[in-house]
Amino acid sequence: MKTVKISSLQMAMLMYPTIVATAILSVPNLTATYANQDLWISPIFASIIGFLTVFISVRLHKLYPEKTVIQFSEQIIGRIPGKILGLAFLFFYIQSTGGITRSYAEFIVSSFLFQTPIIVVIVSMVLLCAFAVYGGLEVLGRITQVLFPLFFVPLFLLIILLSPEYEFSNIFPILERGLLPPIKGAVVPGGWFSEFFITIFLLPFLADKKKGSKYGILTVFAVMITLVVVNLIVLFILGNTTSSKTYPLMNISRYISIADFFENLESVTMAIWILGTFVKISVFFYVVVLGTAQWLNIEDYRPLVWPIGILIVEFSFWAVPSSMAFIHYEITAFPFYSVTIQTIIPLFLLGIAFFRNKNRNRNKKKETNSVYK
Amino acid sequence: MIRNIKKLLWNMNEKHKQIQKNLQEPKSESSLHLSYHQNIEALRSVYNNCSDVIFREFLLLGKKKAMIIYMEGLSDTMGIEKHVLSPLMQETKNESLTVNEMIEHKLIISNWNSVYSLPECIESISSGNPILLCEGENVGFSLGLSKWEKRSIEEPEAEVSIRGPREGFIESIRVNISLLRRIIKSPALKIKTMKIGTYTQTTIALAYVEGIADKTLIEEVTNRLNRINIDGILDSEYIEEMIEDNPYSPFPQILSTERPDIACANLLEGRLVILVEGSPFTLIAPISFFSLLQAQEDYYQRFMISTFIRWLRYVFLGVSLLLPSFYVAVTTFHQEMVPSALLLSIAAAREFVPFPAIIEVLLMEITFEALREAGVRLPRQVGAAVSIVGALVIGQAAVQAGLVSAPMVIVVAITGIASFMIPRYVAGIAIRLIRFPIIFLAGTLGLLGIMLGILAIVIHLCSLRSFGEPYLAPLAPLKTKELKDMLWRSPLWMMDTRPHLTGEANLYKQTSDQKPGPNKGGD
Repeated sequence: MKTVKISSLQMAMLMYPTIVATAILSVPNLTATYANQDLWISPIFASIIGFLTVFISVRLHKLYPEKTVIQFSEQIIGRIPGKILGLAFLFFYIQSTGGITRSYAEFIVSSFLFQTPIIVVIVSMVLLCAFAVYGGLEVLGRITQVLFPLFFVPLFLLIILLSPEYEFSNIFPILERGLLPPIKGAVVPGGWFSEFFITIFLLPFLADKKKGSKYGILTVFAVMITLVVVNLIVLFILGNTTSSKTYPLMNISRYISIADFFENLESVTMAIWILGTFVKISVFFYVVVLGTAQWLNIEDYRPLVWPIGILIVEFSFWAVPSSMAFIHYEITAFPFYSVTIQTIIPLFLLGIAFFRNKNRNRNKKKETNSVYK
Repeated sequence: MIRNIKKLLWNMNEKHKQIQKNLQEPKSESSLHLSYHQNIEALRSVYNNCSDVIFREFLLLGKKKAMIIYMEGLSDTMGIEKHVLSPLMQETKNESLTVNEMIEHKLIISNWNSVYSLPECIESISSGNPILLCEGENVGFSLGLSKWEKRSIEEPEAEVSIRGPREGFIESIRVNISLLRRIIKSPALKIKTMKIGTYTQTTIALAYVEGIADKTLIEEVTNRLNRINIDGILDSEYIEEMIEDNPYSPFPQILSTERPDIACANLLEGRLVILVEGSPFTLIAPISFFSLLQAQEDYYQRFMISTFIRWLRYVFLGVSLLLPSFYVAVTTFHQEMVPSALLLSIAAAREFVPFPAIIEVLLMEITFEALREAGVRLPRQVGAAVSIVGALVIGQAAVQAGLVSAPMVIVVAITGIASFMIPRYVAGIAIRLIRFPIIFLAGTLGLLGIMLGILAIVIHLCSLRSFGEPYLAPLAPLKTKELKDMLWRSPLWMMDTRPHLTGEANLYKQTSDQKPGPNKGGD
């Protein structure tokens, strides 16, 4: 297999839209349900899970520098349990990819293209992502470098252009009912933050490994700031009504008005948001394809791209019966499911691996030096 | 079944062999004989029915039979008479020189060499160098007296600039090489030549600056050139299509230019230049997408102006790609985005138009493309008529007849102008071609379709490589040092480093800190 290398910056640029793209759309609503006007505090709590996840994946990566979780879990807990765990990971990621694709399509169909069959929207996106994944991680890295400014700058502009509408007093009273509501609100975004475990699939391909953990932590921080800012502007504009809007960010982009000429820009927001979703689906798609190839011990993952693409299209229908059910799933099951698979299980893996290595250290002192370097 | 497949494969193999044989036929290996007559006979049979080949027999210093063979129109007849025939035909006494010495002493020619085989003789004759054969010698002499008609050096028509050198390449490869050499005088400028084309035997020259160009790159390009096996090369485009990385891309992965200054600027940045006999367009490789958006004039005017023009180009690149599809998407799917006053005027203009927006756009765009193509191919006198008719028919009459709306004419016109903003003609055409699928996407999925189209282009551009170099090079993968010549054009005294093509070995192209000022330099 050709050695594929991406830079840490590219990894950060891949991870940022992967988390933010869907989070900025539904997190304000989901956190507001629990935290009301304190919704901007929730991402800060939630980011703890993000930092923890990045820490775990960097540690695991240091123990097994050339391998992804699918490969080293076999080494940690044995061949058969490892395979079963790998299957669990793969299943989680395939199902998530299907869910993300479906929610993207539901959003497009319900807000913009009312008469377009949902399958057209899903297939067109999955097809594009398949092309990107087929190109490999290097191509994905380059794509995200091109798209990142296109995604980030409009988001920034949105914040500035909306500034005349801000009602700063919406933020008060802060912590009216104590810390508990924001912590409750943090549970849902915590599910998003634990998606940082995907870095474990990117870290082995970094050209500059030393910067990996730095950029990982930086990305968590950037995502946290973004979510705090987005939650704040949503709060400033919508106030108490935030929790009643499904996609608050879309609602507030309607408030933009420049010189009475540029108005009703939610289509533009949608267009920009598509770029982020594309990166997100591509990264998940890539993880699924790479993981499957490693699970089956196939050298080249390319032949798997098209079959798994079809599987993802199928899962976008199987995993989600309707958009209402998906929102329900996002609030009730997703955070726990996601955190369990992506943070808690890896934590156990790390623990076991750590003790195993310690045992081995006693036997062979020589090897430890090379492992911990 | 299997037998059939085998048979098919065998047939294909046979066919392939036959093609190989046909291509190889003109070459026949045989060295020159001692017998003068046998040599002459061999040459005569090769040049059977070639009335432009002249066989002139004479007595060498009044003793031996000799023959000079050349092609009419390719060799300097006056020179042959004056410098070859007249000194060699003088009868001399008692001089017992060998033929080799005779040539050395008597011929007033600076450039000659010995040839030992028939194919060498033929090659020499066809490239215009007369061959001299003597009795009793199994060696021929190729005399450097080629001379044929060629165009004089003119200003390149496809790449005009207001400031900067006005010379352009011509069809003669020797003149073109000399044009390069006149700019880069250092012996580090190396030129490798080879012949490609079984019948045309076209000379191809690969130029690079030693120490700047990457060695593996030179090797790669040489390998790719050597791989070509084709009957003829009529233009550098033939070479381009045979050596590029991804033949199924609308984007050119090799730059072609008519200007020696552009070629030399690229040589100094570590790129390779391929010159092709008979084509005024030289090839430059590897390139990035942004090389297509740079004009040489960017470096011949003040950097602020160049930067402004570059940004203008980037904006209009987007316009030429997206404006018609954006118009379609907005008028069909997202009317709410248009400010109400503008929407009213567009609606009023479109009221009597019978077509939906997408049909209208396609109609106009295709007409525009047809007009452009007609204007290029027609003789110049008729070309003006085409543009007048086009402007009248498209601009005025179509709107008045209610076939298309006036805003649509404006959109198509702006798009047309925008596509001419791209300094490289090939890149402009690529963009114009991609525009059509995006119009379809916009007509079916609105803004979402446009975004999907953009994503498809970005994916394609990101996976494209030009001789191993990523196509979107300084942007993705990000090379912050090189953005100075992409996002804007830095002042020359700030551009201290070469692009990464050369590796880290020869990074600096000038001493840093050369910012001019009143208190610098002199006293």
